Amino acid sequence: MTMTTDVRAAVVARGLSKTYGQGDAAVHALRGIDVSFATGAFTAIMGPSGSGKSTLMHCLAGLDTVSSGHVHIGDADITTLSDKQLTLLRRERIGFVFQAFNLLPTLTAEQNIRLPLEIAGRQADQVLMDRVVETVGLRDRLSHKPSQLSGGQQQRVAVARALISKPQVIFADEPTGNLDSRSGAEVLAFLRRSVRELGQTIVMVTHDPVAASYADRVVFLRDGLLVSEVTQPTPQSVHDMLLKLEA
Amino acid sequence: MLRTTLAGLVAHRLRLLLTSLAITLGVGFIAGTFVLTDTIEQGFRQLFTADAAKVAVAVTPKDELIPAKVLDELTALPGVSGAQGLVRGTAPLLDKSGRAAGSTATSGISVAAGPLDRTSYVAGTAPGGPGEAVLDENTARTRQFAVGDTITVLDLAEKRRQFTLVGLIDVGVDQNLAYTGAVGFDTATALEMTGAKGYREIDLAASAGVSPETLKKTVSEALGQTYTIKTGEELARKLALDSNVELDYLVLVLLLFGCVAMFVAALVIYNTFNILVAQRTREMALLRCIGATRGQVFRSILLESAVVGLVSSVLGLLVGLGLGALGLAALGRFDAPVPTGASVALTPRTIVLGLVVGLLVTVVAAVLPARGATRVAPIAALRSQVEEQTFRAGLARSIGAGLLLAGGLALTAVAIWVLDGNTGLLVAMGGGAVFFLGVIVIGPVLMSPLGAFAGWVPRKVFGVPGRLAVDNSRRNPKRAATTTVALTIGVTLMTLISVITASTRETVVSSLDEQFPVDFMITAQYGREDGMPLVPAEVPATLRALPEVGLVAEMRQDDTGEIASLPDRAVFRPEVVSGSLAALTTGTVALSETQAKNLGAKVGDDVPLTTTKAGKVEVKVAALLGQDSLNGTMPYTVPAADFDKYFGAIGPVRVYVKVKDGTAADVSRRAVEAALTAYPTAQLVSAADVRGEFDDAFDMMFTIFAALLGLAILISLLGIANTLSLSVHERTRESALLRALGLTRPQLRGMLSIEALVLGLVGALVGVVIGVAFGWAALQTIPNDTVFVVPVGQVLLYLVLSALAGVLAAVLPARRAANASIVGSLAAS
Repeated sequence: MTMTTDVRAAVVARGLSKTYGQGDAAVHALRGIDVSFATGAFTAIMGPSGSGKSTLMHCLAGLDTVSSGHVHIGDADITTLSDKQLTLLRRERIGFVFQAFNLLPTLTAEQNIRLPLEIAGRQADQVLMDRVVETVGLRDRLSHKPSQLSGGQQQRVAVARALISKPQVIFADEPTGNLDSRSGAEVLAFLRRSVRELGQTIVMVTHDPVAASYADRVVFLRDGLLVSEVTQPTPQSVHDMLLKLEA
Repeated sequence: MLRTTLAGLVAHRLRLLLTSLAITLGVGFIAGTFVLTDTIEQGFRQLFTADAAKVAVAVTPKDELIPAKVLDELTALPGVSGAQGLVRGTAPLLDKSGRAAGSTATSGISVAAGPLDRTSYVAGTAPGGPGEAVLDENTARTRQFAVGDTITVLDLAEKRRQFTLVGLIDVGVDQNLAYTGAVGFDTATALEMTGAKGYREIDLAASAGVSPETLKKTVSEALGQTYTIKTGEELARKLALDSNVELDYLVLVLLLFGCVAMFVAALVIYNTFNILVAQRTREMALLRCIGATRGQVFRSILLESAVVGLVSSVLGLLVGLGLGALGLAALGRFDAPVPTGASVALTPRTIVLGLVVGLLVTVVAAVLPARGATRVAPIAALRSQVEEQTFRAGLARSIGAGLLLAGGLALTAVAIWVLDGNTGLLVAMGGGAVFFLGVIVIGPVLMSPLGAFAGWVPRKVFGVPGRLAVDNSRRNPKRAATTTVALTIGVTLMTLISVITASTRETVVSSLDEQFPVDFMITAQYGREDGMPLVPAEVPATLRALPEVGLVAEMRQDDTGEIASLPDRAVFRPEVVSGSLAALTTGTVALSETQAKNLGAKVGDDVPLTTTKAGKVEVKVAALLGQDSLNGTMPYTVPAADFDKYFGAIGPVRVYVKVKDGTAADVSRRAVEAALTAYPTAQLVSAADVRGEFDDAFDMMFTIFAALLGLAILISLLGIANTLSLSVHERTRESALLRALGLTRPQLRGMLSIEALVLGLVGALVGVVIGVAFGWAALQTIPNDTVFVVPVGQVLLYLVLSALAGVLAAVLPARRAANASIVGSLAAS
């Protein structure tokens, strides 16, 4: 089934629903969401607790199955792929930054950054590697194990790892959730720079208005439905919108 | 606290399942040993009691046999309603080809109908007259005789006598008859055939109203102290006791293997509890936060282990029942002379012992982990992530390991170069055990380099999953070391046994080749007379006359087995240490090196010899012979003519035959067989037969040991599976992250399999090295020159099998890891 998709969209979801459980115990996490994320844009997904924002991200990234609807990443409808195809797609086209536990404790920072390429059996683009490392500012920390890095440094390594395979889209799930505000700001600034300078597409889930304000566009979820969006957000405009939604 | 512990147990029941299995198997083995032996013991008791009921009083001789006149005397005593003398001797049965059956002569026994008859018949009836005989069922089967056939038995003068086979008997638990086979006649015929000079036992039946005790008194008064007089009941008790002595060895050997299995199980339990405690750090810390004392935490872990130990031990007893029944069935299949009909017996002793051992081992193994749990600080509850355990070799560990390793080596060195014989072997094995303890202590230090070594190939071959797997295998050296050491124990013992059997086999075969450059050996059938059985003296000459035969060497020796006659020099090639065999002429002797040392004699000295025909003679030493001569153990060798003079023209103990070059094996064999037709008891074996028999014996021994060790190895594999599944559980989020980053399910499964492969390989590597080293040490303590052989193929097989077994152990944990949902796992803390 073909969809009239925006050619410039990196990720498109149509009629996306996700239901957990059955019968009376059924929980409708997503109730039919249509959304698209433009290539080369930094989009934030926001919403109150339980609004379904994490579920949405998991479905968009192919980490979780959908109950109905379709998700396209580029030209691929990921809802029709097998686990194996999905894994390969994640490997080739998607980067991840999680809230915590992003790095393998046995590997050094550099090995962690190169990991997705090595899993895919690809050679690292040395120019890109240098540039990413330079941008992240971790040159002197590359041989350190995660346990020797601060929380902020660990997240920057995670971002560098997401960037290195030049994915079509990076999904970031509360990337600053575990960080103090200064480290958080560094990571967010770095995410924004990678959009501006490297043309990267980023979709970020957050509950922090300040974090969301680094994005080009913020979409709001409530009770599994897309209810609103703000472009060129500021912490204040995002905060106001949230208050309005929770009211 | 109790409720918390129990709730925790229920929550972790799956994780504890594998641990329980380890204990269950260990306890099962030990319980099985007792079930088996108790059942056999009970069977013996029942059997003997049933037999004894038929006999009121039994008279047995103290040394000589009971003369026939005693039987008459006893029959005439008041209160005796029947008397029966039992005869046993040899009566070689001829097989269908006309040769004496078996290397030991068939026993000839008396079986007589009547109330005192203790024989159990499988088919047919008792011999009714001098022309009839019965045969034990095993011999009948292997020699293909059936009731109604005519059988030929040699009498005392080696004359062929024919009997009609009228029945088949079961010799039951009589070890001796089970080994030799038995042909039974009526009492008179038995006396005639075996030439027995009397009875080995006289059984009496009491007249009505006479108690066995009364009869015993009567008999004692009549016979005095010359004979042992027992009531039937007393006799049964004594027989049962005698059979138990032999059982005790079986118990000892089986328990030794049981202990190995239990030790391995203890390691598995220790490791599991360590991991469980590490994983539950936050849980413990929370308990401490809300006011649990260190003691309470400690006790809760111990309680947990006690419950696990108890449940597993109970299951172990059930497994023991099964194993006991299995062992009994196996013994029954091989026609072992033990009563296998009894139903399996679970005695209170077995139950108590099984429960105590299982419980104790589990709780003791959990003490250290429980102590570790008490060190958890309450603040750990607030930390978000469980810290990676880093391992550093402490000074105490290094010193302890150093002492154990050095001590083990020193003990072994002493065993090799100072002690010898059994003491040496035992000390060497003790040294091995101490050294092994040292390896256990130093294990975590060795783990990382060994993991790197064993993982070198997987790292190169399997890409990212391979590299991650090898890193993971070295991640927690302490845990990995305990896991692998359990496997190492099994592999060490297997390798040790392989090295020793291969070396002994090689030694035997090469000495056969070197010293017996012959094609056939002829010996006499054992059992016909006291001392070494002799081949008829004419046999060598008969064989020399055959055109197919090249060389015949006759090995003759005196009754004491000290003085030998010099055989044909073309066959007899001893290592001459000094002097020369050419100088061995009339009135001289060749001494073995050992004997020369004992006597302090050298070439040219005179030494005394005690002979039967010539009395004491003085002979001159002509040569000293090394240990490896054909008559290696013979202290004296004299020329053949002198031997005749000293001991008469007695027949040889063995005759070696070398056929003429170019004669086909079957042609020469037929010729030699034809020449031996007149001597049915002469046993003909070819060099290939001898080798085959040795091979069979070695294979049998090896198979039994391997089967007994199998359990310990199985438990250690459970340990690997257990460690892996707990590691998988710990690394849930890591696995999810890797999956999110594009690691496919097969790749994730592969990663865990490779980790297990590396663990298995490391365990096996260490085991193989120690096993080979201490196999060598054990062989050095055996005084004769033994060849040291490493069965490379077998050892490599152990490595490969261990690696594969590791992979097998990883199957379930890997499946679970690969099938876990990414989102769920990422969220899990």
